[in-house]
Amino acid sequence: MSRGPAGGNVREADSPAAAARTGEPSEAEVLAEATAPEPGSPAAGVQAPSPSGLGLIGWLRWAWRQLTSMRTALILLFLLAIASVPGPVLPQEGIDPSAVTQYYTAHPALAPILNKLSLFNVFAAPWFAAIYLLLFLSLAGCVLPRTFRLAGSARQKPPRAPRYLARLPLSASYATALTPAQALESGGRKLAGKRFRLRTGDGWISAEKGYLREIGNLLFHIALLALLASVGLGGIFGYKANRLLVAGQSFADTPTALDTYHPGRLVSATDLAPFSVTLNNFRATYVTSGPEQNQPLTFNAALSYNRSPGDPVQHYNLQVNRPLVIDGVSIYLIGHGYAPEFTVTDGAGKVVFSGAVPFIPVDQSGLTSEGVVKVSDASPTQLGFAGVFLPTAADENGQLVSVFPAPLQPRVSLVSYAGNLGLNSGPSQSVYQLDTSGMHRLAVAPRPLSVGQSITLPNREGKLTFTGYRQWISLAITHDPGQLPALISALVALGGLILSFMVRRRRVFLRAAAGPDGRTIVDFGGLARSDAAGGFEVEFAELAEELRTAQDGVTQAGVTKAGGDEPETSQDDKSPDDPVPAAAGTEPGGSAPSSGNHQALGPAEDANGE
Amino acid sequence: MIRRAAVTLVATAAVVLTAAGCEGGAIGQSTALSNGQSFVSGTGTTFLDAARRPKAPEISAKTLTGSRLSLSHYRGSVVVLNFWGSWCGPCRAEAPDLAALASRYRSRGVRFLGIDIQDNPANAKAFMHTFRVTYPSFNDPGDEIALEFRQTVPPAAIPTTLVIDRSGRIAARIVGGATYNGLKALLVKVLGAHAAGASQ
Repeated sequence: MSRGPAGGNVREADSPAAAARTGEPSEAEVLAEATAPEPGSPAAGVQAPSPSGLGLIGWLRWAWRQLTSMRTALILLFLLAIASVPGPVLPQEGIDPSAVTQYYTAHPALAPILNKLSLFNVFAAPWFAAIYLLLFLSLAGCVLPRTFRLAGSARQKPPRAPRYLARLPLSASYATALTPAQALESGGRKLAGKRFRLRTGDGWISAEKGYLREIGNLLFHIALLALLASVGLGGIFGYKANRLLVAGQSFADTPTALDTYHPGRLVSATDLAPFSVTLNNFRATYVTSGPEQNQPLTFNAALSYNRSPGDPVQHYNLQVNRPLVIDGVSIYLIGHGYAPEFTVTDGAGKVVFSGAVPFIPVDQSGLTSEGVVKVSDASPTQLGFAGVFLPTAADENGQLVSVFPAPLQPRVSLVSYAGNLGLNSGPSQSVYQLDTSGMHRLAVAPRPLSVGQSITLPNREGKLTFTGYRQWISLAITHDPGQLPALISALVALGGLILSFMVRRRRVFLRAAAGPDGRTIVDFGGLARSDAAGGFEVEFAELAEELRTAQDGVTQAGVTKAGGDEPETSQDDKSPDDPVPAAAGTEPGGSAPSSGNHQALGPAEDANGE
Repeated sequence: MIRRAAVTLVATAAVVLTAAGCEGGAIGQSTALSNGQSFVSGTGTTFLDAARRPKAPEISAKTLTGSRLSLSHYRGSVVVLNFWGSWCGPCRAEAPDLAALASRYRSRGVRFLGIDIQDNPANAKAFMHTFRVTYPSFNDPGDEIALEFRQTVPPAAIPTTLVIDRSGRIAARIVGGATYNGLKALLVKVLGAHAAGASQ
């Protein structure tokens, strides 16, 4: 045992810090390290943090490293979260175009500005796409190199065992009657049985375990990437649509039949699933008494549908959160209301309008609903009616209100107009609004009509009859092929995260040498590579105890210790005031094990990290 | 309680925008936002060369007046097929032009047919009376006829106008309101192209 080689040993492998530095450059700290730049990158500490003086390539490399750094990824993730905020706060065109219209009316000055900023369609906004794509790139740029590094490190053997195991954060020692070779052999078997990866040398065994941590971490990142990709997939190949359907009506899944239609980038009308849906009837029940009165109890929409023309008709009872799924397209029940039916005869005595007109609920407790009737083919002039439908009409202080959402006493109250509806000149008009700018109000006293009653218009301009009412439902039709992949990705991400938190990367070392008294002295040392989850001390102690018992060893006096002193690395690393323990055995046992552990690992992790 | 709030919220939202005029958006993409309601651009004209024309589907259905009509009955004529609804502004705007072209090109073997979508027969008949539309229209309240065209050049909005050549293939499509001159140019092209093809 000459001093020379020993010194060499000390410098090269005796120090856990050094071992950590050389052996494993990409130790995975859950998120903080996703960025771990390659050695020599500007972020890696001392090297120039500024790219000044670099050429174009240098700048590009610098930009790429910035982009793929963990910090950038976190900022982007945060930005993505912030960018989503307007979604629920402001009305969104894709979800509720009517609310956007209302917003325009309420804030005529602000709305166009918000629209310019795509705030009414946040998830399709260019800046949202920019954040999303940058995050995607950032994650991809970090995950791919790490995958290769993991593959590399998985093939790498554990480092050589340090010479003085007593200087490791955790160590134990015992004497046994076995020969050193036997002691090592049985110890190695024990460790291999616990799924440690082994490397053996002359008189030592080095073992490592816990690669699952990095695998879990990587899995998390890859799953996050997959999650982003799935969401993108849905946006490209999916579509969203809405349709209001009056009882007795049918519609087919084709653009002309949909009220709103938002196809993905690569969806054309020929890609829509060719189903047809008929609403046979709709039934809602409400609480009739108590503090919850007027609250809905159940919604049931009896549908019949077929998958494509000519297929057999099937039936489905549609309920809230119980969508009908046809060929991967989900149809949700998202709303309901009343559609009073009217017949209008014009001045010439001809029936010019007949049908159910959906009215929109404006008050949820009594389902008071507003709507308009446009009679565009009446002569001599077009007619328009605007008013309310009251399911259960009652007089409250001289005001007509609806006191219950079910149609117990249905009434309609309308104001009549004549003139130009503004429809014939071509522009699209909301069917729920009456443009009265070209019309004049007719002198008919509005009075609530019950079913069968009429308003006779003055000057022989016609007659409107309230002939009945139906219910309508509104349907959200969504096809999102990214839904299942997104769910799976989220679960895998969670699993990976748990794995990377629960699993510790740790190394143990075993040395056996003949002692002075003819017995074999076995030294056992341990080092946790990451301290995300504590408890290695316990595992180590158990392991040491198991080895000792298996080898029938006798604990050396006061030898089991946990941490405390900075392991000796090399002469220049050692701080002057760091008392090098004369012998590990003299160290008081159990002195703040975990903090000692942290201290010992500190330099290693630092060197390893940013 | 929460469910109810959510339901009402979404319901109201979905409903209000519902038949905001002639919906559907331009071909393929959802439309730009203009005061909150999407609407159809009138410039979506597609013309297909003879080799690329898809066959028009067989249609046999009831008309607004209750009689049965088949598209194949018109084989040999150039057919203008107009998807419309009495409630739709652009349909009302284009109706006089369509009626005029229908009578002007009748002698040249062009036949006009309507497909009345999501409408009520009484309202549709009043519309036809207003605009003196004399050609028949299929009644398509459940979009079954519109669906038949899904594998061809599907109607992407209301109104949509298709021009079918003499051999029953779809030669042109106008998405949005048609104009007199726009449709006339297509008719001339389809009539002329056929004459050229026949002389070869």
